[in-house]
Amino acid sequence: MARITLERVGHRYGHAPYALEPFDMVLEDGRSYALLGPSGCGKTTMLNIISGVVRPSEGRILLDDRDVTVVPISGRNVAQVFQFPVIYQSKSVYENLAFPLRCRRWPIARIKARVAEIADLLDLSGRLGKPAWQLTVDEKQLISLGRGLVRDDVAALLMDEPLTVIDPQMKFQLRRKLKAVSQKARHTVIYVTHDQNEAMTFADEILVMSAGKVVQRGTPQELFERPRTTYVGYFIGSPSMNVFDAEIGAGGVMIGGTPIAPGGALPSGLPTSGLRVGIRPEYASLAQPEDSDTLAATVVGVQDHGSVRIVEVAIGTARARLKLGRDIAPPSAQARIRLRRDKLCLFVDDHLIAAGI
Amino acid sequence: MMPKLYGLLKYSVILLWSAFVVAPFLWALTTSFKTANGVTGGPTYIPWLQYEPSLTGWRSLFGGAGGIDIVKPYLNSIVVTGSASAISLVLGTLAAYGLSRFDYRVGPAKNADVLFFFISQRIMPPIVLAIPFFLMLQFLGLLDSLLGLILVYIALLLPIAVWVMIDFFNNIPRQIDEMAMLDGCTPFGAFFRVILPNSLPGIIVAGLFCIIFGWNDFFFAFTLTFTDAQLLPVAVVALNSSVTPWWSLSASALISVAPLVLIAFLVERFLSRGNLAGAIR
Repeated sequence: MARITLERVGHRYGHAPYALEPFDMVLEDGRSYALLGPSGCGKTTMLNIISGVVRPSEGRILLDDRDVTVVPISGRNVAQVFQFPVIYQSKSVYENLAFPLRCRRWPIARIKARVAEIADLLDLSGRLGKPAWQLTVDEKQLISLGRGLVRDDVAALLMDEPLTVIDPQMKFQLRRKLKAVSQKARHTVIYVTHDQNEAMTFADEILVMSAGKVVQRGTPQELFERPRTTYVGYFIGSPSMNVFDAEIGAGGVMIGGTPIAPGGALPSGLPTSGLRVGIRPEYASLAQPEDSDTLAATVVGVQDHGSVRIVEVAIGTARARLKLGRDIAPPSAQARIRLRRDKLCLFVDDHLIAAGI
Repeated sequence: MMPKLYGLLKYSVILLWSAFVVAPFLWALTTSFKTANGVTGGPTYIPWLQYEPSLTGWRSLFGGAGGIDIVKPYLNSIVVTGSASAISLVLGTLAAYGLSRFDYRVGPAKNADVLFFFISQRIMPPIVLAIPFFLMLQFLGLLDSLLGLILVYIALLLPIAVWVMIDFFNNIPRQIDEMAMLDGCTPFGAFFRVILPNSLPGIIVAGLFCIIFGWNDFFFAFTLTFTDAQLLPVAVVALNSSVTPWWSLSASALISVAPLVLIAFLVERFLSRGNLAGAIR
């Protein structure tokens, strides 16, 4: 319900190096965002800065046009769900869910109705009267989620890997419910995760983070097709992007002396070193006899993933993986591989300079 | 077979221990109804059959011949212990929460040093404090007064309350406070509405410690009072004479321990409810 603006916000704990390097960012009202990155990349720090749990060492935070940099947590009207359940042990399930509303002095009848609604959504209706400390871990996490969702007027809903303790079958269902609720309430949602599937299914936009920096921001498709760095290529997609060392020669872009994109429209002024080519496993396939510009490969292993097979091959000294449909027979020992030219990503010093050659 | 044997062993040990704990009470109970003849005539247990019961011991506590009047010191003890414990508990809980959650700096001293300063008050032997306390109360005109004793007891009990409570608060994750504030509480609201109800077991333990230490203190009650503000432990000592009146002492021991036993029974069910502090995971 609010636009979140971060202006030159950066944070370091004590005199340690930046946990979050100063950056600018605007998160639009009513959209859902995923912060994706490995542990320790600054995702949680960014979340805590927005909610007020952490005061940034520099920069300004605005909710809509209101500067909240020094506003304490309770004055920001932001809901946050932590990775592990945080519940009020001495209160019942009902009181846990009602607490944020009581703090806002809602009338009792309205609290009752809203708590019933949220409890119903999370399948907690039968347990409202129980003391919260008696519940199982995933039920407790449902309470935490419920407390995050129960207010329908929050400026933003922040979730820090909220489904970690939930078992896999329920995860899928719960993710859908969360998405439905937040869309209905037009919350601005920030969802921290290290699981790309979660990020891709949940968010309108994904912010990929690494070592205290936002490396790329975009829709799931943008991240998949045009990863700005090889890091994003590795991090997004399963299996991750294949990246080969490449050189420019007489035959255009070459991998290990074999041209893969002869005569293509290459950007001018390419450096002679540090050049790499990336291709998604989805866009690499077994070559047909009539194909040109194919790579000789040795099959190293085949993993059966049910609907697809992941074929791992060695191309010269490099390793690569192909995602093949089940209807394609996996090659036995030697194979020729074709890379889709329009899907090739060209990196210089690990930064994308062209997608599709 | 094994579980049966284990159960047998378990209950034997428990029974044995119970006997150890209860026996002195039974001994005191029988002794309190004896007279000089009953006490000196060897161990006897069953009234009327083995010895002639008498109320001499109990009478001596309520103004009987050669005895004391226990009622006033008893009430004094309740007032002093009760007020000092309650005040220490309130101040101690607030201090402990502050020390557990916020960073303080007093010159070069940080939280850990402030905490040590609190607790160090109990490190020195009480005798060291006797003269300073005496002079302070004298200066304030509070010698031999209940108010003076309450002040001294607060000084003695506060470290205990802080010590117990800070450990308890440190075990409550900070995220609970943060959560409460995210839910819309002020920092004070988070403490009163969320942390405090969660800390009931800790508060009860701290309260018990305060009451036990306060109720049983003899030394300061003895050095800082004369007649007006006499407390129970001091009054009981007045029972002693050249011939030890075991019957009176037994009766006074029973009546002294009664409130503590009562409190123990009342709070037992809160203590056995388990550690409520682990609110995460």
